[in-house]
Amino acid sequence: MAARVNPNLIDDVKHYGADDVVKCYQCGNCSAACTHSKGEHVFPRKSVHYLQLGLEKPLRASLDPWLCYYCGECSDQCPREAEPGETMMSLRRWLTAQYDFTGISKILYRSGTSELIAVLVVALLTGIGFLAFGFTQGGGNLAVYDGPGAFLPAHDIHIFDWTMGGILGLLLGINCVRMWYFTMRGEHSVPVPLSLYIKHAFTIVVHFFTQKSFQECGKKRPWRNHMILMFSYLTMLILIMGFVKQMQAGPAVNWYVHSFGYLASAGLVVMAIVMVRGRLNKDESYHQHTHESDWMFLILLLYVVITGIAQHILHRIGMPEAANIMYVLHLMGVVPMLGLEVPFAKWSHMAYRPLAIYFSQLQDAALAEGAVPLGAPAKAQPVA
Amino acid sequence: MAEERIGVYVCSCGTNIAKMVDVAAVAEFALTIPGVVKASGYKYMCSNPGQEMIAQDIHDNGLTRIIVASCSPRMHEGTFRGAIKRAGLNPYMLEMANIREQCSWIHEDPVAATEKAKALVHAAVERVKFQEALESRTAPMCPSTMVIGGGVTGMSSALELADAGQQVFLVEKQDHLGGNVARLSLTAPYLDSAQDVLRTWISRVERHPNIRLFLNTELIELKGFNGNFKPKVKTEDGTDLELDAGSILVCTGFKEFDASKVAQYGYGKLPDVITSFELEAMLKRGKIETKSGKLPRYVSIIHCVGSRSEEFHPYCSRVCCTAGLKYAFELKSALPDVKVSNLYTDMEAFGKGCEDFYLKAGAAGTSFMMFSKHQLPTIRAAAPGDGCNMLISFKEQLSGEEIETPTDLVVLMVSMEPREDAGKVARLVNISADANGWFIESHPKLDPVATTTDGVYIAGACQFPRDIPESVTQGRAAVARILGKVAQGQITVDAVYSEVNPKLCAGCKACFSLCPYGAIEFDEKNHVSNIISAVCKACGCCSAYCPSGAIKVRHYTDEQIYAQIEGVLGS
Repeated sequence: MAARVNPNLIDDVKHYGADDVVKCYQCGNCSAACTHSKGEHVFPRKSVHYLQLGLEKPLRASLDPWLCYYCGECSDQCPREAEPGETMMSLRRWLTAQYDFTGISKILYRSGTSELIAVLVVALLTGIGFLAFGFTQGGGNLAVYDGPGAFLPAHDIHIFDWTMGGILGLLLGINCVRMWYFTMRGEHSVPVPLSLYIKHAFTIVVHFFTQKSFQECGKKRPWRNHMILMFSYLTMLILIMGFVKQMQAGPAVNWYVHSFGYLASAGLVVMAIVMVRGRLNKDESYHQHTHESDWMFLILLLYVVITGIAQHILHRIGMPEAANIMYVLHLMGVVPMLGLEVPFAKWSHMAYRPLAIYFSQLQDAALAEGAVPLGAPAKAQPVA
Repeated sequence: MAEERIGVYVCSCGTNIAKMVDVAAVAEFALTIPGVVKASGYKYMCSNPGQEMIAQDIHDNGLTRIIVASCSPRMHEGTFRGAIKRAGLNPYMLEMANIREQCSWIHEDPVAATEKAKALVHAAVERVKFQEALESRTAPMCPSTMVIGGGVTGMSSALELADAGQQVFLVEKQDHLGGNVARLSLTAPYLDSAQDVLRTWISRVERHPNIRLFLNTELIELKGFNGNFKPKVKTEDGTDLELDAGSILVCTGFKEFDASKVAQYGYGKLPDVITSFELEAMLKRGKIETKSGKLPRYVSIIHCVGSRSEEFHPYCSRVCCTAGLKYAFELKSALPDVKVSNLYTDMEAFGKGCEDFYLKAGAAGTSFMMFSKHQLPTIRAAAPGDGCNMLISFKEQLSGEEIETPTDLVVLMVSMEPREDAGKVARLVNISADANGWFIESHPKLDPVATTTDGVYIAGACQFPRDIPESVTQGRAAVARILGKVAQGQITVDAVYSEVNPKLCAGCKACFSLCPYGAIEFDEKNHVSNIISAVCKACGCCSAYCPSGAIKVRHYTDEQIYAQIEGVLGS
């Protein structure tokens, strides 16, 4: 079956950031410059061209955008300033919206205003919700921050965290299944036996924690920064999901949890500032274009870190009312940031990237074992 | 025959000849040939001291005939003819022995090569004894020019000639000026209006006192020769008119390929498959719509229709890539929401400003899809549910995908090809056409606007697909050639040409069909052939064939040739 061209695709993807893709004339310098472009995965050229052509289905079935980490070498080499790196970035946003079954992702990515409204609404609901909870179900007294009678009891927050984590995990999980369906069960996909799925499963873990493909990029600094940011996040996640009671306890410093918290906070603050500065100064090719969703992510990140640190300090210096208000303000950042970004936007890449590497390995392994892509002409049989 | 005093000069050509031929031995041998009174070798005969040496010897030794054994006469015959003429001899008293291209450069045995050089010199000496003093003649040069074709090339050339004060007869077959450019909307790459370009020229051509414009008029006969042509035209009122023109400039242009020959595209069957010229007409009207009167949402431009094809035309038509890019702009400005795609095999936006134009077309949102010229796209009518008029399917080369793209209007970039009457024109003015039917220039680089017929010039898209700037440039190049001849006031007729001995000629006309230059006319009164010396190039075809032996080529007489043969055998 011939792939049907959607002439409007390029206009659609423009909303996700791909402004300069029309300038590309397919010289292929970008693919030559890219360390990850090899074998069946020739990109950015091919992805860019699929987009130019409007080949929506093959593009949706492609894993290539996830194999790119946007080091920017390709954009540096482009003779026409078609920004292939930014096109790959935009395609990741577009793919995220394609995988998302709720349609929320599309709304967030296609319009900065919609995203802002969504964040504000969720923040407001969160604030109202926690205040209402604090005054009715919780301690009811803003002057108590921790221990018995706390305005927001750590136990309830703990339950809330796990509930929210579960819901977000479920949403992201469904989107991951859709990703698998589009990329591994499409019209021309390679049939992969279950045994290979099991054999290569560990790949996901390795790539999740090391991002070692990112390290192979031409530029090393982005990998280092990304690792610091990710491990700071991860530390915070573990602290909040497992030790929220200890984190909230005080005013004495619980060094065995707080020391990790300080480290992670420092990592997050420094990296957030580095990234904001990079995007403002446009120091590298991967910082030349900042989508509205990128700014929103950085603003939320800074907001959450600063309010988190502030509530901690206010608690320690004996201002429990201010600490409680800051806590609510902090949650008003955390909930929209995680609630919107994890299943529907930027954060979802933590699942899609390692999965894409895993799936592409599976395809390569299946092809090596002689699998024939669906719909491909059968291989000529030897004549007896 | 009076006693001749022959001088022989053997050139070393640096080491070109000397490395294989013993120059001194050849000179020494030459002195043994009867009639030779002086023989010398020299490093470079063509240098000023070399030429001086010959002149001095003519003066001191009373030499009457000269042999220069050196390179090909194509290289330096003119040089040495000039040298002996300055020293008082008739230039045709020179004979050259080619001991470089035909000897030293192609042989590896110095002894044998030296012997061959001696034989060639001997042949030259025997031949020169029979050479006759010849004089080139002059004929008057009629300053007026006939320009055939009233397109951009013809008009701009006619104006240049007329502005220079010369009479021009501008002959146009159609009832209006402008040619194919009159069918265009805007011109690439700066999007100037074609009508504006033409209007300037047309109004000047129509009013210029030195231009006599003939519309609805065709050339029907061309008699005469360089500087003195007698073109006969059939004018719009049906009368034949003979004119006087010293030069003929052919600017007959091109026509477009018949797109219905490409079965895959369904031209003529699918109503919304049109040619580039049909789109130009729509753009000029300012109304772009499908046959059913709807605005197209998707327009597909297919390139190389008839061009670069083994089946149709092997050549590239050159202007269509840029024209296709131009449509992207014109369509976008007419219909801001239209999606334009270019289906191409290679994008060759050559020429000043055109690469930038290509970049801009891409930036304006035109999509580019590459097909293989071995596997042309096929167009079919879409089903009601497809949401478009037609679907184009093909294997897109840069993605490797079999794709089908929706479209409402298909524009075929038809190739340029010679006009149907190009062959007739070529025969009338006696010029040649290549295998594709394009007129052939005298030399692609050394003489690009002249033809093998002196006084007949070609310019513009009758010679090969050209864009407007190139056509105008070529036209003006031809004008420069013509004005150069007019400035000389007369034409020089070479002394070497064929002559018919009317006493021997039987009037069989066998020579007529052999002459490649149309130089032979028939004298009905005396029933003999007559060669127009100004047209004859002395190729010798007629002379070699003539059953009565009535035709003699001056400077290539039988005696000269036999003496040469005896010389080469006799050494």
